[in-house]
Amino acid sequence: MNVYIHGVGMSRFGKQPDTPLATLAWQAVEEAIADADRDGPDRYDNRFDAVFVGSVFGAPGVAQRVLHGLGISGPPVLTIENACASGTSAFHEAVTAVASGRFDRVLVLGIEQLSTVFRGPILPEDSDPEGRAGLALPALYALAATRWLYEGRVTLDQLAAVSVKNHAHAKHNDKAQYGGDYSIAEVLASKPIADPLTLLQCSPISDGAAAAIVGGPRGVAGDVRVRASVHQTGGLWDHRSPNVWGYQLVRDTAQRLYQTSGVNPEDIDVCEMHDAFTIGELVTTEALGLTGEGEAGPAALAGRTGLGGSLPINPSGGLLSRGHPLGATGVAQIAEITWQLRGQAGARQVPGPRLGLVETMGGGVSGTDGNACVLVLLEATHPTR
Amino acid sequence: MPDPRPQLDTTDGVVRVIGVRCTECGYPVAFARLRCPVCRGPVETERFGPDGVVWSATTVRIPVGDREPPYQLAYVDLQEGPRILAHVAGPDGAPASDVVPVGARVRLRGRNDAGDAVVEVLA
Repeated sequence: MNVYIHGVGMSRFGKQPDTPLATLAWQAVEEAIADADRDGPDRYDNRFDAVFVGSVFGAPGVAQRVLHGLGISGPPVLTIENACASGTSAFHEAVTAVASGRFDRVLVLGIEQLSTVFRGPILPEDSDPEGRAGLALPALYALAATRWLYEGRVTLDQLAAVSVKNHAHAKHNDKAQYGGDYSIAEVLASKPIADPLTLLQCSPISDGAAAAIVGGPRGVAGDVRVRASVHQTGGLWDHRSPNVWGYQLVRDTAQRLYQTSGVNPEDIDVCEMHDAFTIGELVTTEALGLTGEGEAGPAALAGRTGLGGSLPINPSGGLLSRGHPLGATGVAQIAEITWQLRGQAGARQVPGPRLGLVETMGGGVSGTDGNACVLVLLEATHPTR
Repeated sequence: MPDPRPQLDTTDGVVRVIGVRCTECGYPVAFARLRCPVCRGPVETERFGPDGVVWSATTVRIPVGDREPPYQLAYVDLQEGPRILAHVAGPDGAPASDVVPVGARVRLRGRNDAGDAVVEVLA
């Protein structure tokens, strides 16, 4: 693909109910514009050929409402809702539009302000059969965890190790919602949410915005090449499936990514993936083929997926610890891998990565294997430090 | 809003889910469908259950909307039928306290006050 990331930016993530969502969006967009404008031949300003926006629980018109204050009005604005994968879905559409020649310069924006919508967990959808029955998202993931525990494919300690790792990573990310040093015992002893998942194994309610600017090649150091981007919706998930929910969707999407890019899982140096709940990171790690079956949990426990390990996963802190403002999450993942590939990630920098993978998947429609899965493979264009 | 949860038939005191089965490929669904979602074949109404096996389960420990914790949910594979999400009741009809083991045999027993399909664990 001849598509590049010119700039990225994000607001701080966290509960920020008193900050207008537009303010968070402005921080992300202005940072992305300044980043894209760092030393290119053309000055960057607020003129884009289109804006693709990821948002889940935003009010109708939320995208235009936050954009016009930046003077971004006129060009087409498209808002995309794909659950947790909304931000990466917007990014995928922007990349596809640039690759096809439809637009030259596109702003991707992810926005969400959950703390003003929900006081407890995200409420399941009443028009959905399982949502109406009280299947909140932690319970959906808990059902996957229970199944893997039964199959002996994971242990409680391995689940907790994901939380320990990602909270430790986020200590080095000043835009993360919260980080800290927790022990496996502390994670397992935190408030029960949906057995076997405890509070520290669940991503928090978050508010935030993230932005990325995509366009063609311009030969500017630090631009990151989009090597491949794929998007799929889940097939039926039912009594015929031997796999936990979401596994087959991520696996199928990954196979497409590897086939179209010619890249193998062993080639990937760093990954930002969907860890809304600890079990999700382990299921995804195996579905992506980053480890073999039954090996993701042991890898997390042994530190192989932590900073300093052979395959660092979620150096930002992930959704568990950076926070999870749904529509913004995917774009924040893109921003993190961009910083990693440029060598700009500070104390959480992975040494010299060349290929970085972003994975987001979202659910909520029962009977399917997931509303969407997006995979984006990014490549450094200049040697990192 | 129409209730999207599976419809139950309680004729003769036996509780079954009213769904459809494809007359060509045999695929069962716990809901009304125009055609088979797998092969697009024609479907006929069929009643599934009352017996099934637990595929996975969890106990929810936090309030979710108006629902008070704890309540227990399980994916149940109905015999020769579809997988449904059901609430799990203990012997006294209240939500079961310990998470029902995967592989446990269960039976549909009706709806709870919230209108959810409920299964009980068979000895």
